[in-house]
Amino acid sequence: MKRPKITKRIVRNQLVAYSFIIVSLITLLVLVYVPMLTTIRYSTYKVGLVGYGEKFVGWANYKMLFSQKAFWKSITNTIILAVMGLLTIPVGFILAVLINSLGRGRTQEFFRVGFYLPNIITGVSVYLIFQVVLMGSGGLLNNFLGKIVGHPVTIGWLSNPKYAKVGATILWVWMNAGYSMLINLASLQAIPTDLYEAAALDGATAFQKMLHITIPNMKACFSLLFVTGMINGLARFTDIYIISGSNTSGGAGGSLQTILMYIFQYSFETPNYGISSAGAMILFVLVFAFTMINVRLTGFLKDEV
Amino acid sequence: MKRAKIQKIMITLVLLAIFIIVITPLLWAISMSFDRSATTSLPPFSLWPHKPSMFNYTASFKMINLMQYFKNTVIIVAINTTLAVLFSMMCGFAFAKLKFVGKKFWFIFMLAVMMVPFESRLVPLYLQYRNWKLLNTWWPLILGQFAYVYGTFFARSYIGSIPDSLAESVYIDGGSEWRVFWSVIVPLSKPIMSTLAILQIISNWNAYLWPLVVIKDYSKQMISVGVAMFNAQQESFYYGPRMAVSVMSAIPLTILYLILQKHIVASIAVSGIKQ
Repeated sequence: MKRPKITKRIVRNQLVAYSFIIVSLITLLVLVYVPMLTTIRYSTYKVGLVGYGEKFVGWANYKMLFSQKAFWKSITNTIILAVMGLLTIPVGFILAVLINSLGRGRTQEFFRVGFYLPNIITGVSVYLIFQVVLMGSGGLLNNFLGKIVGHPVTIGWLSNPKYAKVGATILWVWMNAGYSMLINLASLQAIPTDLYEAAALDGATAFQKMLHITIPNMKACFSLLFVTGMINGLARFTDIYIISGSNTSGGAGGSLQTILMYIFQYSFETPNYGISSAGAMILFVLVFAFTMINVRLTGFLKDEV
Repeated sequence: MKRAKIQKIMITLVLLAIFIIVITPLLWAISMSFDRSATTSLPPFSLWPHKPSMFNYTASFKMINLMQYFKNTVIIVAINTTLAVLFSMMCGFAFAKLKFVGKKFWFIFMLAVMMVPFESRLVPLYLQYRNWKLLNTWWPLILGQFAYVYGTFFARSYIGSIPDSLAESVYIDGGSEWRVFWSVIVPLSKPIMSTLAILQIISNWNAYLWPLVVIKDYSKQMISVGVAMFNAQQESFYYGPRMAVSVMSAIPLTILYLILQKHIVASIAVSGIKQ
């Protein structure tokens, strides 16, 4: 007589538990898993404009992409820009070391908050401002450089193919150095102070402390910033798109076109969904590799449920 | 002791110099936005407008419906933040405190999503919404918020640290899991909820690619896309109004940051998530 009651309670508990998660699970299924599988499928199909009338074409989309110079260029652009963007790590580290050496207090708090400000307000408005800062004639950066070298400088930081990646990296470092500083500072402050005290007793110089205590203790922080920097850098789109004048072919004769801008072109400007899906798969594989490393580093999946 | 003090002052001065260089572009933009002479040519650098005036602001209000964009963005940010925080708390609670069949599977099902960058499912997602006839509405912006994976991860570890004994009195009174959620878990989780809310507000306010793709009507557009479109349409020499629009669109987040600065910086340092 007792059994049905217990089963009923078990079923009820299951239903209640699922009532907390079911909406999110359905959302992920419909808006993440299904579209991702569709991307994989489309990448091997010729897809009609309406999204129907598909025809299997095997590797043809990938072959077509890899035979295109413009696609290779967008891949190399993206990787070069992502690697140049890693400059935020040393910049953030140096800022963090300087800020940390001030000791806890109001001055430290001021710089910590102040240097993070660009990260918060970075959005379309900042890209518009940097369009003017990096302009060839009359731009703020050239103005500043001109004062230093003593004669007018007219480098097209966004229009000259030779310098465009440097200009884009200046913007990237400006936007992201604050984040890197914050993460660096948090790890610096987590290093046990007795390590430094022991070293001081042994008569270590500041440089020796940096080399033998600080840097080895920062390895986890550096690798986290490296991986997240690569993930964000490989999927770079918005800032470059806007500083190129809302143009997906990328400013400066295509030297600023990223993979995502290339995909965007084949998705929404001259739609060819098969090709854009193959491009999206290549981006996915690149980002996936770094995300896996990230998951390992942060232990996201290691956690026991 | 004296040497240490001098060193500290030197470092402060160096940091101050770097800080000034970093914020100069912003100050220049503000100065240009108030400069009447910035409408026909780029004025030489100055932190004070050459011809101070409000012209750029009044002119840009006539050229761009900024208030409409602000209204749309505030509504979407409010809806999305509420949904994302609520559903990540619900999932976090279930994964931290409840027992059910398939728990481990569904947890991995959720976390695996972090390995699928949004950009790689952009096209099918767009076509899906087109088939549902939901393009050019706010639904594509909202529906994705019913699952907030990063939030779930952080909510779960936060809720996991709340002692079970607090919930027991509710169970003894015959209360359900939902009662526990609303009367014990949510009131005790304010710190993590505000952290997640801040991260959501910032990322929703700055979202650009997805609204650009799914919304065509200016009257429904978000501020990020609206401002960029305005910029692309203007004559390239129209610096003043462009800067005025940039400054105005950056004001809300700047104010939010100045009010909640310590909390925001701490949230980001702890979570490691940028946006």
